[in-house]
Amino acid sequence: MTSQNKQRKNTSSHGRRGTVLPVVFILLSLLLMVLPLESPVASAKALLSYIFIPQIRAAHAVVEYAEGVSDTVKDLLNTHQQNALLREQLSRLRLENAQAKVLFEENVRLTEALNLQAPKIWQGVWAKTAYRDPTQWNSVVIDKGALDGVYERAAVIALKDAQPVLAGLVLEADDHTAKVLLLRDEDFAAAVYAAPSGEEGLLSGAGAAQMRMQYLPFLSNIQVGEKVYTSSSSSIFPAGILVGEVAEVEDESGFRTSLTARVEPAADASSVRELFVLTPQKTEGE
Amino acid sequence: MGHVLKLFLLFIAATVLHWAFMAVLGGAGVSLNVMLVFACAVCAYLPAQYGYPMAFLCGLFLDFFGVKLFGNNALTFTLCATMMYGLEKRLDFDAPAPQIISMLAISLFAALFNLALLKFFAGFSAWTGFWPLFTGVVFNAILAPFVFWSVRIAFKRER
Repeated sequence: MTSQNKQRKNTSSHGRRGTVLPVVFILLSLLLMVLPLESPVASAKALLSYIFIPQIRAAHAVVEYAEGVSDTVKDLLNTHQQNALLREQLSRLRLENAQAKVLFEENVRLTEALNLQAPKIWQGVWAKTAYRDPTQWNSVVIDKGALDGVYERAAVIALKDAQPVLAGLVLEADDHTAKVLLLRDEDFAAAVYAAPSGEEGLLSGAGAAQMRMQYLPFLSNIQVGEKVYTSSSSSIFPAGILVGEVAEVEDESGFRTSLTARVEPAADASSVRELFVLTPQKTEGE
Repeated sequence: MGHVLKLFLLFIAATVLHWAFMAVLGGAGVSLNVMLVFACAVCAYLPAQYGYPMAFLCGLFLDFFGVKLFGNNALTFTLCATMMYGLEKRLDFDAPAPQIISMLAISLFAALFNLALLKFFAGFSAWTGFWPLFTGVVFNAILAPFVFWSVRIAFKRER
């Protein structure tokens, strides 16, 4: 048999298959549709359902895996975005830190040149409120004492919204505990100034009422809402600690030589839990 | 024998993919038919003695999950296989464009023919709206190059 004859035979064989097979399968399909095959088909379906169950399970596993991948990718994208944002913030903070360092060094140089007192760095110990007299909200006892470096008349600071605020001063210091006089006590007093007006006055507690900022200049333009900070003229408290906010400037009637403002303290006496007690400070360069 | 084994494995993979896509896209009203695309891909690259039985089997697979009529998908897929063998003589299925265009036409025909069969033999209107029909046809066409490529790689175009 020649190769041409073989090729012709193959081609005709393919042609016959191409004609016969579709006809066979079309007829078979039509038969399946028209014949009453409910019973055998139901049996076959029951049998095939067992065969296809692993595939269906595999498909669901694929879908679940794909959904998991989607969540993971979302998390990764979020993390990537956050990372980019944090990198940007870090770069900005590094720059600000470098600038602050330069300014700080300049400040030290100028302070030395002008023969002023050098800036001080806060040092101290963290303490917890150990005891509070339920009838006396003007003082608390803390769990740190003289052995921890706490001394009488030391400034006590609390944190409010991550910002240091003045809480009071140490009244008595034992070896392991100390009593802190809170701002509201009538015996409490501190030299303060209001910002941005810059007016200085003497702050004193007034019990349950708001604190008083006294001896403000009569022609002072202090406004309600101004922040009140400890003054550098204070012998006890370091300057710049937030004390409160001016709530009211008393109406002047009659003869007076100074103004008085009502100040709402920033530290809440009823919720003071952790306190930072300043210990003897070191002057920069010491 | 090698072809049969490869076809069997590809068939299993196609059924898994079909279920997976149905689980994901079914909720959105997209009636993607991986089995049809797979049957057409087999017909594009393998001789009739493999293509027709595979198309029939793929249709029968879907029929086993139907409830109204048995054999309609098998008939539809067999006719689609006939169309593919007709097109195969005129188009080069190694390129994606003929694959996509042919799958657009064949998917549309399969969907409409199936609807007609169900209406004629079972008196049942399976029309679910234009959106599932349209998206199903389009998704089949989009999927075609990947499925055709898989089948071509598996058989290395041994026709």
